[in-house]
Amino acid sequence: MLSVLGGSLAAPTIVRAQDTSPITIGGMLPLSGPGAIEGRQVLKGLEFAVKEANEKGGALGRQIKLVLEDDESNSTKGVTAVRRLIEREKVPFIVGTYPTAVVMAAMKVAAEYKVPMLSGGSTGAGATDANTPGDPWFFRCWPDSNAQGRDTADAILKRFNGTRIGIIHDTTNYGVTLADQVTKLITSGGGNVLTRDSFTLGEQDFSSMLTRLRGLKPDVLYVAGWAGDGANIVRQAYETGLRVQFIGSGSMQSDDFIRLAGPAAEGFAVATQFEPTTPNAFGRAFGERFKAAHKEEANSLNALGFDSTNIGIEALRRAGKPDGLAIQGMLKTGMKDFKIVQGPDGQTAAFDEKGSVNYPFFIAIVKNGRRTL
Amino acid sequence: VDIFLQYLANGIIIGSTYVLVAVGLTLIFGILGVVNFAHGEFYMLGAYVGVMAVMFLGVPLFVALIVVLGFSALLGLGAEAVLHRPMRERDATSSIIASFGLAVALQNAALLAFGPQPILLRTELANISVELGPVFLPFQRVLIPIVMAVLIGLLYVVLRYTWIGWSLRAMSQHPTVARLCGVRTSRVAIVTFMAGSALAGVAGFLMSSVFMVHPLIGSMIVLKAFTVVILGGMGSVTGAALAGLLLGITESMTSGYLANGLRDIVGFVFVIAALLFRPQGLFGRAIERS
Repeated sequence: MLSVLGGSLAAPTIVRAQDTSPITIGGMLPLSGPGAIEGRQVLKGLEFAVKEANEKGGALGRQIKLVLEDDESNSTKGVTAVRRLIEREKVPFIVGTYPTAVVMAAMKVAAEYKVPMLSGGSTGAGATDANTPGDPWFFRCWPDSNAQGRDTADAILKRFNGTRIGIIHDTTNYGVTLADQVTKLITSGGGNVLTRDSFTLGEQDFSSMLTRLRGLKPDVLYVAGWAGDGANIVRQAYETGLRVQFIGSGSMQSDDFIRLAGPAAEGFAVATQFEPTTPNAFGRAFGERFKAAHKEEANSLNALGFDSTNIGIEALRRAGKPDGLAIQGMLKTGMKDFKIVQGPDGQTAAFDEKGSVNYPFFIAIVKNGRRTL
Repeated sequence: VDIFLQYLANGIIIGSTYVLVAVGLTLIFGILGVVNFAHGEFYMLGAYVGVMAVMFLGVPLFVALIVVLGFSALLGLGAEAVLHRPMRERDATSSIIASFGLAVALQNAALLAFGPQPILLRTELANISVELGPVFLPFQRVLIPIVMAVLIGLLYVVLRYTWIGWSLRAMSQHPTVARLCGVRTSRVAIVTFMAGSALAGVAGFLMSSVFMVHPLIGSMIVLKAFTVVILGGMGSVTGAALAGLLLGITESMTSGYLANGLRDIVGFVFVIAALLFRPQGLFGRAIERS
């Protein structure tokens, strides 16, 4: 009895003496170079989740500090960034990063150090497929690019009644994977893929390609790539006189896309897992808090950054210690009741054995300069 | 045929920007022997300065063009002081490496000052379009080859008929003899850099309403410009002008008739072929140097 009393009396003092310093968590995103638009949007979600967690007292009685690394969408820099976060900053988990190719290089290193990663926007199926089933170290709280492609192909065929379809994609892993998959699904679903064109990341002039496409008279054009390039294509198509239903890949969910494409963005469709008007009540509440803090509407990149960080922090709380292995264990099975802001109402962070969460995407259409569901 | 003309027009427009950037590059190389990898950054900064002048100071386009010209000329002045003057007596690799350094510094300066977000100049010209028979073009695109032709014509006249032009050409033929004949070579170097930089800056400004502006656009265009310079013959202004248009048209035809993914490959295949079979460039003369 005495020893129990002594233990319970002594324990809190030890904990307090031990550590009141903040727990550092890692964030790794492209903050410059290609992908920086997307990276900076995701970052707002990370920062917002950390801020809210700290206002509620942090985790394990300690404040949370976010340490950032810029991977510049470059695999080599990504690997260095992960090493630096783990070795120098001793982070128990990392939220990152946006490009799937960089994730695939970085996740191997993180797994060796037994530090889990939560996606900072990477949607490519390659990343979660590279996990050992049942023992994932990379977690993505939304469906992979295959699911995104499936829901997009569905929309092309059923919602827009596309029969003559054109596909434009960039030459990154993301663009090629999506284009391959959509091509396959459309062909098997009875649509006709008239043409496939590729472009280099950051290419500026699409006028001749779009002129040729205009001659082919497609009824739907699918663009797989990053927001800046997508906006350039949609705008130049408008200038070329190509009037067609455009549908884009997930990275074109940002408001920057609409701003850059201007009036040409009207009618543009995109598969999305979050909108401020989402039927997901937890998501709508997040959207309102975010808007109050930032004076702008939350977008899906903000939302996914928020979810990944929020899940990581909660897993850290539930694990009871800032330890990578314990957090990974909690992420694998212990988060099935934890609500996320993306996806349909009541969606939770129920990771499957590959580290993915599965739910259907919404299809949003731009009307009067805003995406509407 | 209609669609062929449309591709041709697109090619001429994109080729015109290559010309503006490449001519400055070839001028600096031909006269001073400096291989300037920072040339793309002159293009990028010209674009930013123009966009800032229009968007934040609200000046009309024509005034912005003058602002861009002035700023770019100053930039050229600075670049000469960094890349040419201190390196004059050393071998060419010093200035090449220095120009790489300058490119990285300018790119990161732009990143810090303007951020990574692409921006776009919106003008009232965006809604005007021009139809020339079967060819349909937005007016702001039509402006590009026109401005290019005016500037290159002006450069040609200056090189051919003015005292400055004579000094420049004398210097490119033989710096020592030019100096002996009373050409002030240090002034020529400054003028060359200012002219080259101004041409690139104007090109950047012209494109800022058509394409997007971000800190990395310079490193992309400079590769094209080098392609053009090698094709046209290092140091040949006429060669660069013709090769620039040729590259633009070839790229446009490639993405029009073949596939867009091939367009960059075609340009570089041309360069390799040119280096193999005509190392002096398509329009260059082979010269024996004593």
